[in-house]
Amino acid sequence: MNERYRSGVSEFIDNIKNLQRSFLASFLRSGKPTSDKSRAALMFNNFFLHIQGVKTHINTLRPTYTFGLGIISFFLLIIVVVSGVMLMVYYNPSIERAYNTIKDINYVVFAGRLLRNVHKWAGEGMIIFVMLHMTRVFFTGSYAKGREFNWIIGIILLILTFGLNLSGYMLPWDQLAYWALVIVANIIQSPKEITDSLGITQYFDIGGFSKQLFLGGYTAGQESLTRVYFLHIMFFPLFLFIFLGVHFWRIRKDGGLTKPENLEQVGGDTGYASRPEKTGGVFPTFKTYGLMELARGKTPAVDKDIENTVPSWPNLLLAEFAVFILTLAAVIVYSFFVDAPLREPANPLIPENPAKAPWYFLGLQELLSYSAFMGGVGLPGIALLGLALIPYLDREKGHVGIWFSNRQGVIEAVKALFVGALVNVGLLAFVVNFGWFRNWWPNIPQLLITLVNPGNIWVGFMIAWSLWVMRKGSTRMGAIAMFTMFLVSFLIFTYMGTYLRGPNWDFFWSKSQWPVH
Amino acid sequence: MLNEVQDTTEVSRRDFLGLASFGAAIVSALGVFAGTLRIFKPNVYYEESRKFKIGKPENFPLGTVKKLDDEKVFIFSGDDGFYAISSICTHLGCIVYSTETGFQCPCHGSKYNIDGKVVGGPAPRNLSWFEISQSVDGSLIVDSAKEVPKGTKYIFA
Amino acid sequence: MLNRFYLSLLLISGIVLGAFLLFVGYREISPEWKQYQVEYKNNLIKNAKDDATRERAKEVAIEIRQIYLGKLKRVDRCTTCHLGIENPLMVDADQPFSSHSGDYLKNHPLDKFGCTTCHHGQGRALTKKEAHGLGHKTHWDDPIIPTKYIQSSCAQCHDYKTLEQKGVNNIVKGRNLFQEKGCRGCHKLNKVGGDLGKPLDGIGSQPIAYFPMKHVTGEKTIYSWIKQHFDDPRKIVPESQMRAFLTEEEADLITTYILTLRAEEPPREYRRFMHMPEVKTDGESLYKKYCIACHATGKISVYDEILKRTIPAIKNPAFLKAADDNFLRNVIKEGRTGTQMTAWKISAAGLSDAEINKIINYLSIDRPEEKPERFGFADFTGNVERGKKLYEIRCTFCHGKDGKGGEGLLGINLINPVVQSADPEFLAITVRDGRAGTPMAAFGKKNGLGLEDQDIADLITYVKTLSQKKENLSNDYKD
Repeated sequence: MNERYRSGVSEFIDNIKNLQRSFLASFLRSGKPTSDKSRAALMFNNFFLHIQGVKTHINTLRPTYTFGLGIISFFLLIIVVVSGVMLMVYYNPSIERAYNTIKDINYVVFAGRLLRNVHKWAGEGMIIFVMLHMTRVFFTGSYAKGREFNWIIGIILLILTFGLNLSGYMLPWDQLAYWALVIVANIIQSPKEITDSLGITQYFDIGGFSKQLFLGGYTAGQESLTRVYFLHIMFFPLFLFIFLGVHFWRIRKDGGLTKPENLEQVGGDTGYASRPEKTGGVFPTFKTYGLMELARGKTPAVDKDIENTVPSWPNLLLAEFAVFILTLAAVIVYSFFVDAPLREPANPLIPENPAKAPWYFLGLQELLSYSAFMGGVGLPGIALLGLALIPYLDREKGHVGIWFSNRQGVIEAVKALFVGALVNVGLLAFVVNFGWFRNWWPNIPQLLITLVNPGNIWVGFMIAWSLWVMRKGSTRMGAIAMFTMFLVSFLIFTYMGTYLRGPNWDFFWSKSQWPVH
Repeated sequence: MLNEVQDTTEVSRRDFLGLASFGAAIVSALGVFAGTLRIFKPNVYYEESRKFKIGKPENFPLGTVKKLDDEKVFIFSGDDGFYAISSICTHLGCIVYSTETGFQCPCHGSKYNIDGKVVGGPAPRNLSWFEISQSVDGSLIVDSAKEVPKGTKYIFA
Repeated sequence: MLNRFYLSLLLISGIVLGAFLLFVGYREISPEWKQYQVEYKNNLIKNAKDDATRERAKEVAIEIRQIYLGKLKRVDRCTTCHLGIENPLMVDADQPFSSHSGDYLKNHPLDKFGCTTCHHGQGRALTKKEAHGLGHKTHWDDPIIPTKYIQSSCAQCHDYKTLEQKGVNNIVKGRNLFQEKGCRGCHKLNKVGGDLGKPLDGIGSQPIAYFPMKHVTGEKTIYSWIKQHFDDPRKIVPESQMRAFLTEEEADLITTYILTLRAEEPPREYRRFMHMPEVKTDGESLYKKYCIACHATGKISVYDEILKRTIPAIKNPAFLKAADDNFLRNVIKEGRTGTQMTAWKISAAGLSDAEINKIINYLSIDRPEEKPERFGFADFTGNVERGKKLYEIRCTFCHGKDGKGGEGLLGINLINPVVQSADPEFLAITVRDGRAGTPMAAFGKKNGLGLEDQDIADLITYVKTLSQKKENLSNDYKD
């Protein structure tokens, strides 16, 4: 009787008492993750977690397989975004105030210097880790078997990462920023070299037009800073997040991370992850479930190798959390000791000598010193196109998920490493010692230099070498040779531009030999 | 048919390693979060000082009221000393103007008497009185960060 | 179920992160300036005379002090460490607590002028190193100014006359030196002056990158650069042609003046220009302003090692005897191509005709009454071939084989337009009578080296063909 006449007030009071429990229940939906089912439910009921499978293959958790490079890049992005939003509170994109706001961030914002360092180093760390991630994906052959498109998305993300870093480099409006802006504007203008050579610049000045579009005028000034700011905080991040969403979604759709056909045979040490329960759990181990099951068909993971999967909660999430804290700690430790550079205020009359782009573009700047068009547009274009086409030109499906595919892959990679380094260094040594066409024949047409310069010769050599490797072996071996050489030359050119080039882009063995200003 | 069956191997999170690692990680993550929030308040604001010099006492003849527009304050020089009354309406921050009977806010009609006491309109508080001090060179300093009770007047040589 | 690898990773990362957060927090709450403030506060409490003062001292907040100067677009936080700057009791205290010397703050209150307006340095910075802006690593273009040059800051708002009356003499002395040492013979200021050196407008606020600091000793600042380049121009800039004959004291004075030449001006309400600057426009002053650096007294002609040529003695009576006003006017207005002599006309180095006339009048004070004896060049017919032979015997030693003069040779360049376009009568007289006070000897028969008038006429005829010949030569070469 009492229950029937239970008043609304007492129910209301009960509800208040149960508030914590009912809120938690509504938040978690499936209760505490104590069983396989509730663990699965936890994953697919959470907006942020549902992008990941409810079960994770133990190969994915193997540290020596992925080294966590992709997820580190993502965590770096999170750190960059959070610190960037904080910096936006103080930064002001006006050429009169930008420099002073950065100074104030350094001097009077609590932990402002650290904040700026974190933003800077996490951003540059992204370049390193995105490239390493690409290297990992390439050498484990993870662009094959339905993952071709995601590889292209990855290339786009790499470009956006470069764009974000570069545009951020220009915001403090100090000498580094201003002259990097000028250099980049002139790289953008470099197609003029081709139109000049063809004599069509006055009708079709694509280079000049792009430069004006970028600078918002003919010279670098307030309009340019406004545009760079827009690129940095709106344009690039927007597209980065869109493509990042697609990237993650495709990882799920394409069946999670790649893995060897037979993990045990490859000799995977599984000590890093708990052995899966062969018998326990409510779900039969011969079948995976959840969203992954719905995506039957082209998803390689369904119904395969299920006995080697473990619940994502807590295994995968622990690994991710650990890597996140590791990333955060590493960035903060590095930022604690190394300050982000800030030079004198921008001075349009006095260039830095050498006026260098940020380090990740110095490889390009070395190529630019041969030919502005080939270094700025031609070769990077070829390189990016080549990278994007790799999965379509090498369609071998064997050995996916294994570093370097097989023993021959290791040999080819090492061979390409040494041959590439030797030829590349040799080429650079030749150029440094003997110069190039213009030093020999001062009146040579520019078009000839555009077509035949050390950069082009190097790219030609890479293509020839990998074709030669392919002739003896497979397309995969050719791709390994090519990609290794690409990485080697990226490193060598970047090293060259960063450490061996001094004032007037002359060669110096070390910075201590630079003529003192 | 799916049954709720308890996992046979209960997660042993209570082991020391698990506790220590999650503890360390979560505490530091919270530290980062707290530091991040602290960033919003700089150690010093980039604005005009709230403490300002208004000149020597002799610039304020006895029995006059001077309105300082930039500093948003009325300086009174009476028989029983100097005092400074804020010209910022305590309702929503408009600037009041002085009338014969006191002060009037143009925005929402708040009225104050000659001592800054609310006599009409929506204003919740009396106009603030500020501390006046004298610097070593003899000029007066008004500190609009330091409120003093209504009726505090200062006598300077 | 949780595996040890990731748990250990989490543990280590978590501890490292936590530890560094503590370091960061410590670094943030114990900045350099806080030590100074605590020390100052303790001094105040210790030295308090009575309880009331002590109580007030105890209430002094430990915080960043800043002077926000909206109109000057400056934020000065110097008083965060220089706490006693307005406190008369701190006269004898050591830096950073010492009070400001003199009574400058009386008319230049801190809250209106701040610190960096006069002293320069980086007002926003909060560490000693960065605030003073010394050293390359601070990357600050406007470092703190040494006290001996501080007067240069006064000229931002005050005119020279007022400063002189107030006893702020260094700038005035420096300015006088600047005008008497002929600096503008080579340096432009307000578009007037020679072209050999860099223009001086705004030089005092140029960034450090403008000055080659390689050979500067001590602090590598604009102040050291300017001072040291007065001491020895070629030590600082090896290819410099600058002539500077200054004592140590004069160098400091003129440095003070040079530092007043800043590009930016304070807002109108700060400026106190009561008198127009006094400009001396008599011939002697103009000569000192524009000519004296190269021509010195103008009495004797010597070979100059730096300019690599012999500088004519333009106040030498013998020279003036031969050179009439029109000749001088022509040389001054058009300059001498191929030498350091600038064209001084209004469209080039910027001297008005009136000013040039004043200089010429000043030069001609020393012109002798007597006119040179007439040569009568028009009565002779010169023989080029004979002239050439004579030239090779008599003239090559000083003027060089091709008549160009130049490095290591005593003679002047004969191919230059002024000689080539000069009246042959004038040239003939010069050869005949020589030029006293210069290495040019008299070659005439009467009191010289025995050339007949006909020889001289031949010689002049040949010399007049020198520039022509060069053209022919180059034409030959082209063919």
